[in-house]
Amino acid sequence: MIRKEYIEELDKLKRDVLKMGKLAKDAASNSIKALIERDAELAKRVLNENAVIDDLEFDIENRCMKLIALQQPMAVDLRVIGTCIKIITDFDRISDVGGDIAEVVLRVGDEPFVKPLIDIPRMAEITQKMIDDCLEAFSKENIEILEDFSKRDDIVDALYDQIRRELITIMIERPKTISNASHLTFVALYLERIGDHTCNIASRIIYMVTGVKKKLG
Amino acid sequence: MLNQKLEMFIDDRYDDFQDNSEEHGSNKVIVRNVNVYYGDIQAIIDVSMIIKEKTVTALIGPSGCGKSTLLRCFDRMNDEITGCRTKGKIIWRGNDILDKKVDPVALRHKVGMVFQKPNPFPKSIYDNVAFGPKIHGIKGKRLDDIVENSIKQAALWEDVKDRLGESALKLSGGQQQRLCIARTLAIDPEVILFDEPCSALDPISTAKIEALIRELKKDYTIIIVTHNMQQAARISDCTAFFLMGELIEFDKTSKIFENPKDKKTEDYITGRFG
Repeated sequence: MIRKEYIEELDKLKRDVLKMGKLAKDAASNSIKALIERDAELAKRVLNENAVIDDLEFDIENRCMKLIALQQPMAVDLRVIGTCIKIITDFDRISDVGGDIAEVVLRVGDEPFVKPLIDIPRMAEITQKMIDDCLEAFSKENIEILEDFSKRDDIVDALYDQIRRELITIMIERPKTISNASHLTFVALYLERIGDHTCNIASRIIYMVTGVKKKLG
Repeated sequence: MLNQKLEMFIDDRYDDFQDNSEEHGSNKVIVRNVNVYYGDIQAIIDVSMIIKEKTVTALIGPSGCGKSTLLRCFDRMNDEITGCRTKGKIIWRGNDILDKKVDPVALRHKVGMVFQKPNPFPKSIYDNVAFGPKIHGIKGKRLDDIVENSIKQAALWEDVKDRLGESALKLSGGQQQRLCIARTLAIDPEVILFDEPCSALDPISTAKIEALIRELKKDYTIIIVTHNMQQAARISDCTAFFLMGELIEFDKTSKIFENPKDKKTEDYITGRFG
């Protein structure tokens, strides 16, 4: 095959972006698991693994730049590399957000939450499925599963608004809960951000596959 | 005189058609169902495309795909090849330039060509550029002005203004190629054909020629054959991809290099074959 090494390097790049995406998804899901189960050890693991994801982001970005400089990619190859450079930033943000939730877990400790965790796990479930679908779409170049992303993001946004309103009411009624309720508000906000990042990723994958830029979320 | 001859037939027919269809009323180069044969071998298969005025159009494709053959149709250079036959039409300014009634020598006055290897005449820098206009009887101050303007347009003036009498063969490869462009400009063409103009040049000279081509498209319609994909991407407005004599895809350059429609185009420009 002509340009065998180049094609192999592109394939390896895609595999590593997927790997980074899976690590980011683990950070998001483990941090919520740690929150629900009050598992400080798991929260610390999420924070430790953030450094691995950061290193992977730098490494992938460097390899993308090298491919552009040395191989002058065109057409779909250029779109793949452009997409990789863009989505690794969103994956990094998702893992950072996972780290932020993990920090909330460590701060709250064993203190009971002001309300039972019902909508936050729902938000987490939807956003984690969105990350999974992004990874599948990227890996199989199947963009059909991304079609309803804007709708799913709307649901996440609505849940966030609902949680925020609920927690503000609790804080007004019981000012002593402000610290605890603020932590939960932030967790909901972090999950809402994950929804936004997955929409960015989905939008880039659609561009990678079709060449058409489409804004989602 | 040749110029006058061409102007006459162009203007007569152009006037006749300019209010009719878009095809006859513009300076676009319209290629209609062109087929070229070398004996029994068909080198160009039913190619149709419209080249807009004052744009750079790149013809790309693997060796033997027919891009240089098509380029030579625009100035009828294929007429010089024994056994070469051309069918179809290339309509420009209301005339079919493939029509045998069109004088190819007069045509080449309006359609200049720059070749792969710089080919200056073994004469002075001045005489190289003055060669064409002199044939047409231009001399004195007017000739000097044409030479100076052409060399300036070819971005060579600063390099050679103090040594116009020196042999052109003393110039570097890149300077020789710009001299050849100046020589082409001196005959006042409207279309300029470039056949891999940078393939024998170093990167600096290549960058100068590319900058020059971008500058020239303000005044001229440019068609360039290049094997250098990045060059096509950098300098052209539209790109045509050829494969085994067929025009596979013709579109805006940004579209061809970012999101081509045809799998064959994509495979070629991404280096999967070719």
